[in-house]
Amino acid sequence: MPYVARRLLQALAVLVLAYTVAYVLLSALPGDAVLARYGSPELGLSPEQLDAIRESYGADRPPLERYVDSLLAFLRGDFGYSVNSGAAVSTLLATALPSSLTLALASLVVAVVLAVTIAFTASYGGWGWLRRFFRGLPPLFVSLPVFWIGIMLIQVFSFKLGLVPAIGATGLQGLILPMLTIAIPIAAPLAQVLLRSIDEVRTQPFVTVVRARGASTTWLLWRNVARNALLPTLTMAGVLFGELVGGAVVSETVFARAGIGQLTAQSVATRDTPVLLVIVVLAAFTFVIINLVVDLLYPVLDPRLRAKTAAAPKLQGATR
Amino acid sequence: MSRIRRTALTALSLAATTALLAGCAGAAPGGEAPAGEPVTGGTLSYLEPQTWTTLYPPAGGFYPNGAIVNNITDRLLYQDPETLELEPWIATGLPEVNADATEYTFTIRDDVTYSDGSKLTAENVVKNIDLYGKGDAARALTPSEAINNYDRGEVVDATTVKFFFTAPSPGFAQAVSTINSGLVSDATLDLDSEGFGPGSATQVIGSGPFVIEGEKLGTETQLAVREDYDWAPEGAEHDGRAYLDGVTLTVASENSVRVGTVVAKQADIARQIPAPDEPQFAADGLGILAASTNGVTNSLNFRFTNPLLSDIRVRQAIIAGIDREKIVETLFTDSYPLATGALATTAAGYVDTSENYTYDPKQAAKLLADAGWKAGSDGVLEQGGTKLSLTFNEAMPQPRSKEVVTLIQEQLGELGIEVNLFSGDYAAQTAASLDPDTIQVYHSMVGRADYDVLKSQFFSTNRNTLLNYDTETQQSADPKLEELLAQVASAPSPEERAAASEAAQRHLAEQAYILPLFEEPQVYGLTTAVQGFATESVGRPNFYSTWVTR
Repeated sequence: MPYVARRLLQALAVLVLAYTVAYVLLSALPGDAVLARYGSPELGLSPEQLDAIRESYGADRPPLERYVDSLLAFLRGDFGYSVNSGAAVSTLLATALPSSLTLALASLVVAVVLAVTIAFTASYGGWGWLRRFFRGLPPLFVSLPVFWIGIMLIQVFSFKLGLVPAIGATGLQGLILPMLTIAIPIAAPLAQVLLRSIDEVRTQPFVTVVRARGASTTWLLWRNVARNALLPTLTMAGVLFGELVGGAVVSETVFARAGIGQLTAQSVATRDTPVLLVIVVLAAFTFVIINLVVDLLYPVLDPRLRAKTAAAPKLQGATR
Repeated sequence: MSRIRRTALTALSLAATTALLAGCAGAAPGGEAPAGEPVTGGTLSYLEPQTWTTLYPPAGGFYPNGAIVNNITDRLLYQDPETLELEPWIATGLPEVNADATEYTFTIRDDVTYSDGSKLTAENVVKNIDLYGKGDAARALTPSEAINNYDRGEVVDATTVKFFFTAPSPGFAQAVSTINSGLVSDATLDLDSEGFGPGSATQVIGSGPFVIEGEKLGTETQLAVREDYDWAPEGAEHDGRAYLDGVTLTVASENSVRVGTVVAKQADIARQIPAPDEPQFAADGLGILAASTNGVTNSLNFRFTNPLLSDIRVRQAIIAGIDREKIVETLFTDSYPLATGALATTAAGYVDTSENYTYDPKQAAKLLADAGWKAGSDGVLEQGGTKLSLTFNEAMPQPRSKEVVTLIQEQLGELGIEVNLFSGDYAAQTAASLDPDTIQVYHSMVGRADYDVLKSQFFSTNRNTLLNYDTETQQSADPKLEELLAQVASAPSPEERAAASEAAQRHLAEQAYILPLFEEPQVYGLTTAVQGFATESVGRPNFYSTWVTR
């Protein structure tokens, strides 16, 4: 399929570009990882000793040569070693990835459920005060800083109520608080967008038609309004992946969870270039994939986008 | 919410806090006297602000590394953290040293084994010290900062080893008592930088009271007791195996979480309690342990090679213009005693030079006027078109460095001196600090319980914090300072070293090269279920004599 092929090529270009930009930016910063680790006063090494170590890492060669070498190694799947700890980047990644994936997926699911609940209740809630209350939630959630949510959750549920240990909790128990920390700020914009598009769809004439034909509120909501309101939200979900990564950095640091977020925070602090490069490419990769999936999902959800030849019925929801 | 609670707590328990902190600050690293009889068994949970980066002993100075290395390795000698006296440990006695301290002979125990079953032999000891003395750049393994002028080691017989130095190395006996010289097995010595790193912790084999049982990368390290451990130094509280069955070291980088977890008694000990959080530990069942680091105090170093600071009157004016007491009072607690000289009062060779560090803003203004600085149109002092504008670094590993510099900014601002804070991450700070034109005032400290610590901080080939030595021209701006420091590390007898150290400290004070701020402790917060918790001479945890009651 030429469309998919074109998208894949684009994706590849994005990845190479991400790698290169990250590489250039990291090299342009003053100081390097060798200095960050071995130049630390705790070791008290002389400049000559530092140079010897830089040499052993090959960090004394010209930048372009190092760039080409690292890119080739990268393509071979050799991610190199963390300058900060000497551990293989692949080992670090293998430990961090599953835990982060679990956290990210769980958070995304919770965020979507939360967003849908907020939006539906705010539009179709039984009482006026309930609708107003839920309508007020997204602006509140969106303005809460992630780290603050995390610390508050720990303070209340762990330190005060003693329900979950703050640190060292395992399995589902250890997942709940970090998951909520990420889900709340992500749910907010999702709910906002969903709420707005529900409002828009509800004013469309076809809704009145369907209702006039005797459809119940539930039927109307699920079969007609939701389907039409979902498109902008789906686009938003793709963009929100960035929030997910940011949330993971904070949440994993606050809750002392192993993961990509924590690894990122540590590597940034120590200017650990090999680790950072892999993380940047990984993030770019996931971003590209998510956006690809979102783009491919559009035609599935909206027949108007399926093929140019097929005539797009204007009031899709009403034709039943 | 936590702020309100904190304020309330502070107000309510002010008296109790003061009493408690006063009791602890002066106390030896051992802290308060343990209550009751030691109990064997139980696992201690210990919270660290950072993940460890390597278990290569010479890099053990980094506290997260040191917490592990200190408990899994033994050393040739043991240094009493209170008296700083050296005692036998793996060596059966203090070394025989020749007259100019270039040859050391140790007799070692023959009954010590590593946790992998291999024997601790004379060959193995030489292999250890050879690596630590010289490093191996090809494996990215660094030499130990504590070992100077190392030449080679030699196995004399099965229980005797001898070390040779190219120049006098009087600090060597103390150096082999530090965690930087922790002894590891032959197989461990063959590892490279990666092998000592995260992911292979269980490969690092020492002969200490604990062994590494497991690690969760980036979050947790498990230590387990070694049942057959039977070679504790005499200075230790007891003999045989450690009381604890194990220790779980967990990373909790967020301060409020680390503090809160111990306050909520979900963990036993947390390292690095920020000064504003200390009052929380005044509550029942909690305590604070402020361990002295026995080295160079937390100080400002004036880079006098920079033209702005080359006039001694300007340096003296800065010193007179900074109200150290107010800084310590505002930002810190009683765990942070006001510094009275370049070295902590408990450090080897300490001399009181506090008369050079009196706060006197009037005198400061006069000195600046004498030096020819006049207020410009914006209130900042000027001379010949140059502004008196100084840049300070942010000492990332040091407590509240940013706040300290901010207060100084305010205080010196009143005199017309502009203070800037260099912003940047760790690597950027380190890179900038090497250039006197970028960083004119360098905030730092170093802990080591030997006379050599002074040289470590200021000498040309060590940290060179004053940038007295210019690596480009290979010249020292103040050769006298270099000479005095070299003397500290090369005079063979302790008396001569103490005298040399005193001369160097007085020189630093009289030339107004530094402004010592406070004696930097390592502050631990712990629950009273923890008994007998102690630290080694630079404040790293020692779990050997610790037990838990619950």
